Amino acid sequence: MQNTSALSSSAGGTGPGASDGSGSAVELPSGTDHVTNEGGGVGAGGDGVADDGVPASSGHSNSTTNGHDVKHNGFAANNNGSNNSCAVDGENNRENTSGYSGVHLDKSNQEIIRLIGQYLHDVGLEKSVKTLMVESNCYLEHPSATKFREHVLIGDWIKADADLKVTIADVTGLLVLVRFSIFFSQDLEPLIDNGKSSTITEMKFILLEQKYLEHLDDGNPLDALHVLRSELTPLQHNILRVHQLSSYMMCSTNHDLYQRAKWEGKGIASRALVMERLQTFMPPSVMMSPRRLRTLLQQAVELQSQNCPCHDMAWETNLQTVSLLTDHCCTTDGFPMQTIQVLTDHCDEVWFCKFSPDGLKLATGSKDSTVIIWDVDPYKLTLKHRRVLDGQAQLNVSFVSWSPDSKLILVGGTEDSHELFIWNVDDGKLVVKFSQSLEDSLACGTFSRDGNHFVCGGQKGQLYLCDLNGTVIDSWEGVRVNSVAFRADNKTILAADNHYRIRGYNFDSPRSDFDILRESHPIMTFSINSADRLALLNVSNQGLHLWDIEDKCLLRRFQGIRQSNFAIHSCFGGVNESFVASGSEDKVVYIWHLKREEPLAKLAGHTKTVNCVSWNPVYPSLLASASDDATVRIWGPKPTGSSATTESDDCSSSSSSSSWNMT
Amino acid sequence: MGRIFLEHLGGLKLFNCAQCQTNLTNRSQLISTRFTGATGRAYLFKRVVNLTFSAIQERVMLTGRHMVRDVMCKSCGAKLGWMYEFATEETQKYKEGRVILEYALIHEAEGFPSEAGGASH
Repeated sequence: MQNTSALSSSAGGTGPGASDGSGSAVELPSGTDHVTNEGGGVGAGGDGVADDGVPASSGHSNSTTNGHDVKHNGFAANNNGSNNSCAVDGENNRENTSGYSGVHLDKSNQEIIRLIGQYLHDVGLEKSVKTLMVESNCYLEHPSATKFREHVLIGDWIKADADLKVTIADVTGLLVLVRFSIFFSQDLEPLIDNGKSSTITEMKFILLEQKYLEHLDDGNPLDALHVLRSELTPLQHNILRVHQLSSYMMCSTNHDLYQRAKWEGKGIASRALVMERLQTFMPPSVMMSPRRLRTLLQQAVELQSQNCPCHDMAWETNLQTVSLLTDHCCTTDGFPMQTIQVLTDHCDEVWFCKFSPDGLKLATGSKDSTVIIWDVDPYKLTLKHRRVLDGQAQLNVSFVSWSPDSKLILVGGTEDSHELFIWNVDDGKLVVKFSQSLEDSLACGTFSRDGNHFVCGGQKGQLYLCDLNGTVIDSWEGVRVNSVAFRADNKTILAADNHYRIRGYNFDSPRSDFDILRESHPIMTFSINSADRLALLNVSNQGLHLWDIEDKCLLRRFQGIRQSNFAIHSCFGGVNESFVASGSEDKVVYIWHLKREEPLAKLAGHTKTVNCVSWNPVYPSLLASASDDATVRIWGPKPTGSSATTESDDCSSSSSSSSWNMT
Repeated sequence: MGRIFLEHLGGLKLFNCAQCQTNLTNRSQLISTRFTGATGRAYLFKRVVNLTFSAIQERVMLTGRHMVRDVMCKSCGAKLGWMYEFATEETQKYKEGRVILEYALIHEAEGFPSEAGGASH
């Protein structure tokens, strides 16, 4: 009674309330104190309402966090108030609102306030929530929805069921109110339809389902049976599910019940799930989904990391790991984006380059029949000439493979060569010169991942598995291969053949071979990532294709590169191998993020076709590229100090930061 | 130049470039042996790989006016024959897109049976 009178006074007294209202807004601190006192008991609600300065809506906001009685009354009161305004006009109500707080909030602002309110509530800043709701004249959620939630969570099914009726009734009645007090009209229109019996039945059904299961869990089959017979069945809803539920009666143990019903057992967890299901039937204006603001922010972070050009997938981006104060963007500081060194020691086209697995050496192979080994200084990020390996006369070096211990290299030539060489890079001595037949063509080869074998092959139909002494252990007849790789099991050899396929070959007895993938154009070269899952293919005239070799599906077609006549090599690299790079006939090095088909950078500097790139596997800020212009370029991060090398000055015109073409 | 990427059609009977032995085509691609080129006998093939093509030119042949391109080996650059781009005579349309290799400039070689089917060219 007291409430109603207080309300009518506030509703009636809007005119004078205007100045009062602004007064109350200023006097917030004391108001807040007041609320704290109130927090203790329901009776105090009278206090709150008795405070004439506080508008009806404040009663309402109290209600969301206080005792039920107050809530309900507060709300009903508000309802009253808006009924009044409803009778007059929406206009009037707007004046009303502005009268209370001096601010007029449109729909989106109101929603933001509610999000903030919910968040403050979640972190336990109850006082602030109240203050916020008072000042903004918004409400967090419909009070009967709060009550409903509480009842569900404590498992008071009878009250919850009653709440449901009230809520629905309220919600439908509320629409009128909400429409005027929150300017929501269009959004809530559909709800009236939703408020029809089928939805309510469904909600009831969900409640009773939980009630039934909890009875079973408690070992009260009789009560459960009662629920089933006299509550669930009469609903005439989802008969199949009712039958299923009745079958749970037969469960011998609770554990059995949980398994069969896929249910977590009686308690707050399963009830929260029930609540989440029920919540889907409630319009968000009545009850917000839990942790809504966090959900939104997480979505924002996800979107930002999706759009982050150099996104480094090594660490997870979520609310805990990124700052919300700025947009997430991975730094490009350590990224190889500038020429830091140009190696000019080769005297003909450089066809291949490869960093050693320990990241401390680089091998470059050239048409001039030499391989040069370079020492990498990982701190200064500079390379120094170590030695030339030129014992393979007349061999145009087309590939180099490192042993996993970074001590040996396997060197081979083009289709017309039948010899392979294994060098020890430490002492520069030839370990093995491999040749099986003068008729052979050995144009590709690689060490196994454990370093105990190597495989080599070519288009004249050889595929040899050899040990490190150059003894052929086994061979595979009848295949013409362009490029080979070992899988992590060290048994399966992948080879790209002349029928545009990559096939697997296993020499273990019984021998087996199988298709992995097929392209529609010739596969020139390919490489497998260190996780042994992805294959990166340079496909003649088609570009760079990324395949998943387990799922055997094409994941991405990286755009930009040009390749038609020459065997171009690409590689995985960067932190956590989140990136790929490739040479190209248009003289630039392309870099892509693994997740995006558009190149993230084009590194300009070479003056002819870039044949090969290699990303340092240990120091991901180093990238090497080999080109027909007879040079090898080392790409690294932007120099931090004034220690730019003279070489990089040489090419500064073409490889300044502008060559880092963000697209 | 880069390392030239060469294809291989495979097959049991191969036709290679006489100069550098680069594979060009195989017996299954052969349409006709009854052609004549500058060096004498010439073969018409359905599909030939590892070629480079000259600019298009018009040539009047025994069978009528044709638009053709000379074809060279991609590896060594030796001239091998020509490719029909366009035939003006309706009866000669079947030659469009096909390649003539002069027999004197190519070399027959043995291949080996390829398993698991060929590419769907």
